[in-house]
Amino acid sequence: MRISVLILTAMLAVCNLNGAEINVYAAASLTDVMKEIASAYEKESGDKILFNFGASSLLARQIIERAPADMFISADEAKMDELAKAGLIATETRRDLLSNLLVIVVPSYSKLVIASPEELVTKSQKIAVADARAVPAGIYTKEYLTRLGLWQKLEPKIVPTENVRAALVAVESGNVDAGFVYKTDANISSKVRVAFTVAVEQGPPIRYPVALLKEAKDKSAAAKFLVYLQSANARKTFERYGFIVKF
Amino acid sequence: MPFSPLEWQIVRFTLAVCAFSTLLILPVGLAIAWLLDRYHWPGKLLVETVVTLPLVLPPVATGLVLLKMFGRRGPIGHFLNQHFDVDVVFTWRAVVLAAAVMSFPLLVRSARVGFQGVDQRLEQIARTLGARDMRVFLTITLPLALRGIVAGIVLAFARAVGEFGATILVAGNIPGKTTTLSLEIFSAVQLGHDATAYRLLVICVVIAFTAVWLSELLMKKRST
Amino acid sequence: MKLAIRQLSLRLQQFTLGVDVDLQHARTAIFGPSGAGKTSLLETIAGLRKPDTAKISFNDQLFDDSGQNYWLPVRLRKLGYVPQYDSLFPHLSVQRNLLYGSNGKPKDHAFEFHHIIDFLDIGHLLDRHVRSLSRGENQRVVIARALLSAPQLLLLDEPLTSLDAKLKNAILQQLQTLHREFGVPMLFVTHDPMEATAICEEVLLLQAGRIIGRGDPAKLLG
Repeated sequence: MRISVLILTAMLAVCNLNGAEINVYAAASLTDVMKEIASAYEKESGDKILFNFGASSLLARQIIERAPADMFISADEAKMDELAKAGLIATETRRDLLSNLLVIVVPSYSKLVIASPEELVTKSQKIAVADARAVPAGIYTKEYLTRLGLWQKLEPKIVPTENVRAALVAVESGNVDAGFVYKTDANISSKVRVAFTVAVEQGPPIRYPVALLKEAKDKSAAAKFLVYLQSANARKTFERYGFIVKF
Repeated sequence: MPFSPLEWQIVRFTLAVCAFSTLLILPVGLAIAWLLDRYHWPGKLLVETVVTLPLVLPPVATGLVLLKMFGRRGPIGHFLNQHFDVDVVFTWRAVVLAAAVMSFPLLVRSARVGFQGVDQRLEQIARTLGARDMRVFLTITLPLALRGIVAGIVLAFARAVGEFGATILVAGNIPGKTTTLSLEIFSAVQLGHDATAYRLLVICVVIAFTAVWLSELLMKKRST
Repeated sequence: MKLAIRQLSLRLQQFTLGVDVDLQHARTAIFGPSGAGKTSLLETIAGLRKPDTAKISFNDQLFDDSGQNYWLPVRLRKLGYVPQYDSLFPHLSVQRNLLYGSNGKPKDHAFEFHHIIDFLDIGHLLDRHVRSLSRGENQRVVIARALLSAPQLLLLDEPLTSLDAKLKNAILQQLQTLHREFGVPMLFVTHDPMEATAICEEVLLLQAGRIIGRGDPAKLLG
């Protein structure tokens, strides 16, 4: 009798008969804010949100290889366009969710003062930047620095990282002198200090598009969560973390 | 063969770094292998365990330890930075470090087996003929242990070429500075450049074949 | 020659080797059944084994003195050692084996290369590989190698065992005249009374680690 109760409980836990499971693949910079929003949503709805955070380039590739995602939030348009071209997203669900700002961070104990990115040429030896070949944060940084004519000079100093959070960690550890991350990343870390903020007009347009996948398992549950992401509560949370809301 | 200059640079860099790291660990590795074979002392088990650790731990775990120790704020990294103005993490030195640490246990294990196979009575006879300890080691012990030692060197070199987990943590994947063959294959796969990945894979296979063939050649010349 | 062994004690598996003896003859045999401790005694004199206690000196040069914690390393004893087992260096040619002991040392006229090679009749073996030698050839090369290091004493552990009668005789003759030819005294371990009588002036009888007799081989073993 006891054993069958155990088995049943185990099955329930595994099947989550109460609510749906939604697989959200989201850019690394969204890690903390999305976890908070999801936890609030789970209490309300009884659904369970499962996350896969990483560089948008890596996630897009996984989705193309048919990884089981229900929703994708990218840190740039290009990755979402890739999936659209491959016919993998429900285009009517796509919209711009957020924007962000680029900043230059230094370790919190560092005495380095930077009035402009130009000063990095003389005042730094190693700069962490998410891999500019594919990761949005890196691509934005390269676009910005190229526009300033600084990319060639700074490239030899750049240490490419797997995603923007890895760049943050590199700065936190002190193994690099500075790094390019999003303002929202700098906000959650007490071990770095913002040395320079790229003004909205100066930097490249940063966009976080969101869309549901055509192959989503539980489309209505995913759609419900998408609606929640654009609610007043979600907006408050996003803004608290420093994101610029676009909905 | 249609390889780009960048790819050639990566191959040359990888071979140079691995050759260097193997040469670096050779004297220490042989010394420790010899000591482990010939002597017993309290705490010997500890030495054996520490030497074997990089073989057993997941490479990224070893990479983590190296990162903490050799980072600018780590005990060794800080010392090097302050007194010699030298950075290890995110430079070619970290690549050498990761390769050396990960391949060390393989060299020691093989060399130790090599030393075990040496008839110590022959060493004794050499002494009766007046040879000092160093001469006995160089003219009797080492040549007779050579099979195991050469096997160890080849294994160590191969392991260094294939090193990835510790390298990516402690050296990063910096094109032109720390990118090795393994790291470049990883990047190519990540970026969807499958053709590049396959080409580099071919190079790895060629290196593997060459290493084994070379070691067979070396050993064949001796056992006539 | 003067080999003084005082209060030598060495625990072996079955018994304790205990020897207290002075040896003066140029050719001395150590005779006894297998397991008597002959090899252990030879190894101790050579410095290849450390006794529990001993005071050993050769021609007034101190080898061992356990009381003073003194022990002269093997390589400084200048002894030629011909063991029972195959002791040629397998990775070196015959020539290189022969020259190992005289490497870089000034040429000692008493132990001239060609003299020794001819005496032991191994001139034709110089370029051969060690593995290709027969047992008899092997033994002659080992003896030559030991001689070439200009030893002050030659220790031979059953050198003629596992040789056929014809070879035994040939090498026997060489050993008989070795002292006259090169002036090197020798300690000769054997369990064959014929060998002891043919080669040596005095025989030491060893049994279960103890000397139970010494004297003229012809009288004791005849």
